[in-house]
Amino acid sequence: MGLLALGTPLDWPEAKKNADQVREWGIKQLLSIWNKAKGKERDALLWGDEVEYLVVTYEKDKPEVTLSLRQADILHALAQDEELSSEGGCVPALQDIGGSTLPIFHPEFGRFMLEATPGKPWGIGFKDLLDVEPNMKLRRKIAKDHMNPEEYPITLTTYPRLGSPGTFTTPCFPPSGDKLRSQFVPDEIANPHIRFPTLAANIRSRRGRKVQVNVPVFKDKNTPWPWKDPTVNYDLHKWKEDDDVRNGASPDNFIHMDAMAFGMGSCCLQITFQAKNITEGRKMYDQLSPLGPIMLALTAATPIYKGFLADTDVRWNQISAAVDDRTPEELGEKPLEHDRWRIPKSRYAPNSTYISEDPRLRKEYLDPNLVIDPDVKQQLMDGGMDSVLANHFAHLFIRDPIVIFAEDLQKLDLNKTDHFENLQSTNWQHIRFKPPPVGSDIGWRVEFRPMEIQITDFENAAFSVFMVLITRAILSFDLNFYIPITKTDENMETAHKRDAVLNDKFYFRKNPFPTRAPRPYSSNGGLNSGTASPAMLSRPPTPSGPVEDEYALMSIDEIMNGSKGDSTNDFPGLIPLVESYLDSMNVDVETRCELSAYLSLIRKRANGTLWTAAKWIRHFVQGHEEYKSDSVVGEKVNHDLIGAVIAIENGGIKDVRDVEKFLGPVTKPCSG
Amino acid sequence: MTRLILSTGNIMTSGPSIIRRPGADRSNLELTSSLRSNFIAAQQDLSPPLSATNGNGSTSDSETESPGRPPASVWTRRDGSDYYIPTIDWSMSGLSEEPSQYDVTVKLFYLPGADIKHRAQYAKDAIKLVLKELGVQTIDLLIVSYPGMSFEGDCEWEADKKNSSQGNDEEEVASWPVFEEFYQQGVVKKLGLAEYGSEKLSRFMSRVKVRPKVDQVNVKDCCNVPPPLLKLAKLEGIELLVHNDCTDVLPSGTLRELLGQGAKGAGVLSESKRGLDGMKGDLTPNWVVKYTAVVRDRGVIENKGYFAVAELRE
Repeated sequence: MGLLALGTPLDWPEAKKNADQVREWGIKQLLSIWNKAKGKERDALLWGDEVEYLVVTYEKDKPEVTLSLRQADILHALAQDEELSSEGGCVPALQDIGGSTLPIFHPEFGRFMLEATPGKPWGIGFKDLLDVEPNMKLRRKIAKDHMNPEEYPITLTTYPRLGSPGTFTTPCFPPSGDKLRSQFVPDEIANPHIRFPTLAANIRSRRGRKVQVNVPVFKDKNTPWPWKDPTVNYDLHKWKEDDDVRNGASPDNFIHMDAMAFGMGSCCLQITFQAKNITEGRKMYDQLSPLGPIMLALTAATPIYKGFLADTDVRWNQISAAVDDRTPEELGEKPLEHDRWRIPKSRYAPNSTYISEDPRLRKEYLDPNLVIDPDVKQQLMDGGMDSVLANHFAHLFIRDPIVIFAEDLQKLDLNKTDHFENLQSTNWQHIRFKPPPVGSDIGWRVEFRPMEIQITDFENAAFSVFMVLITRAILSFDLNFYIPITKTDENMETAHKRDAVLNDKFYFRKNPFPTRAPRPYSSNGGLNSGTASPAMLSRPPTPSGPVEDEYALMSIDEIMNGSKGDSTNDFPGLIPLVESYLDSMNVDVETRCELSAYLSLIRKRANGTLWTAAKWIRHFVQGHEEYKSDSVVGEKVNHDLIGAVIAIENGGIKDVRDVEKFLGPVTKPCSG
Repeated sequence: MTRLILSTGNIMTSGPSIIRRPGADRSNLELTSSLRSNFIAAQQDLSPPLSATNGNGSTSDSETESPGRPPASVWTRRDGSDYYIPTIDWSMSGLSEEPSQYDVTVKLFYLPGADIKHRAQYAKDAIKLVLKELGVQTIDLLIVSYPGMSFEGDCEWEADKKNSSQGNDEEEVASWPVFEEFYQQGVVKKLGLAEYGSEKLSRFMSRVKVRPKVDQVNVKDCCNVPPPLLKLAKLEGIELLVHNDCTDVLPSGTLRELLGQGAKGAGVLSESKRGLDGMKGDLTPNWVVKYTAVVRDRGVIENKGYFAVAELRE
């Protein structure tokens, strides 16, 4: 989440009236950063991971499990301890760290969430890669040490019974508050910092109704069909939004949710990379984009919503719907009258355009229907930005700013980026291109956002490290993963399907290798001396065939592990690419051993030897004695599931059902 | 006698030849396939465009005229007794940033059939080529691979023990001074060995002036390094690095096939007595050198390639 500046937030439609000013100032701030930083060069690879936690209260012998809403208290306890440690430290947990920088904890949208990042960014030194997992474990431990004994930080993407009837928070509050107007969750579910309730309320106001988060329910043996969400109350009359369900917001066979918390209350694993310069940053942004849906499907961990088994495995579309502020006109439900354009996607969506100046970026890869604000584009180009990048920002700026603080509207400060960030940070695309912050030495960065958080730190470290290594392989081998960007949208949809990781196919580029640069030829035999004019050297470039011939539908196994003999493709596989990269580097045996364990986990998830978290959770629920094959994840099942998740990371892993199918042999393969 | 100098150019951007095939641990596939693809590339790039020739070149010896293959003279170069396959355009060499930004690693493979009394010269030749190719003055790590060494077998203790009697201690120690010289001149900052087990390594260290700082090993499972070796490495401050090469990286049969007239050959070497260009006779691969330049703080491999040198006695 962005900076939590305090101030007086404008309600909708007051905020709307100031949207143009915020956009205009945002563009000016962007141009100011761009002009300062476009020539920034030779930044090192620095990277960081963000791990998000749910905080639950759980006791083995007590049937109730709840989300703890004590985020503020926990952060307060952590902050106090960090002060102590900076003064020499007197808390045992913080003394054992041996000089490494303490992790940093942040608030998140959900009041039951925490986010933790390493205290300083990681580098590419292989020792750094080995520090990631212990650091994640340390974060979990420090968080736990500052909670009540019955509270645990867990890394499930969503809380299975969030919004179910009955008690699911501690303390408990009634739903139907003024800000969210949700019939399932209370306003107190959101971080009380004024930014968050305002964000939720203004999204709802702009939209003209509550958000509609509908997930297809999983049809089990005893699931009544058609299935009507039994938790929806059609008789509420407190807010005008209570009409939504009477107007068809809750269709048959879908689990219905109605508040931002159902999406923004999800935990993700995000990785941010610093690029060498803007050119490399733009290249990385483009090349990581097609990997998004693949990594989403591979990290699938979200099979339950509001106490029901869903027919999807990942969180993405639910977050997308939970912050969808589009009006009926923008959605195409009404003719355009007050709004400027139809917008095909939510603010939270796969990215919609490529931004690199790479000559391999064919115009056929771009979406011809990309919506941009032509005035914004013109301003950016007048300010010196090239049209490709100007297009990107002119697309982000089709949105309205949602949260505007009155204090920020008084004068434009070009040494700040608040107005730019207002739009930038509420465009939640699956890759984010981040300009250098003003007044710091940080460079251009790219954030990879689609992955689901994994239950264990081992898995989270594995996926984080894999992403770092694949970016190094991309840059070293000059790989090319371009496909038409609308295919990435389709892939994101495919990634939602139950067990997409094994059963579905994704569009992916068949040949990722660069075309060889030809040697200069000179007609007087052999090589020229190197001084001949390049003009006469080049042969006609290999004619590029139809774009449709460049990609094919492949399984995740084929994409990750390479094409097998029976495939018509000859894709090398992302993991072999990473291994080839490692083969060319000086890696010590211990590091390689650890990295092999990570790559082995990912290889096995991709080929089905190991289950995704989504599959493990499904099996856990469906194999539970209290489960009645009716898609309902009741309180007892939930209790035991949370208990198992806690046990996995707290020394009880051996007793957890099916854990070896999920994580492999309980002792790590490389512990020898 | 002709010295054949084979080169791959920068293989990082040359496509699939560098990519490891699943299950292929310990191989010379990278070397052979990148040599082959560099030969083909040079043949394509350096043969005259069709419009500039009448037909398919001027030679008429049917043996070298497999369809589409240009005569060796257009893409190779003879320079005294040196024969470059393919010809190298040194004006294209060098790295894109300041040399200080890079970690340069070089691995020199002494091949089994080569004459050991020329080892010092081989080392000098190899280093010279690499420095020229990368446009640098120094090498951060030079790893020496002597023939006949390995870690074989499933049991790591056994492999370490077996290793102890492999190679030839006398010859290896006797070949070391040239590397010590590089080190003392500052051309090489750190020396390393490949495939030394604990016993061989401790014997070696007791007999040399400049000790190796690195031992590059290929054990079947990198998580099961022989414990005695781990212990010794820790004690002596030697870094154990992983690699994926086989020691006999270029057997003469493979080389002959690479250069020969077959479907996968470059067509440089004659297989019959009536060969062309005088290129026939006994072929002995002497050494191979692999070099890698990595942008240090970004972990990006900018340049990687091989030179392989063989001797042809006509």
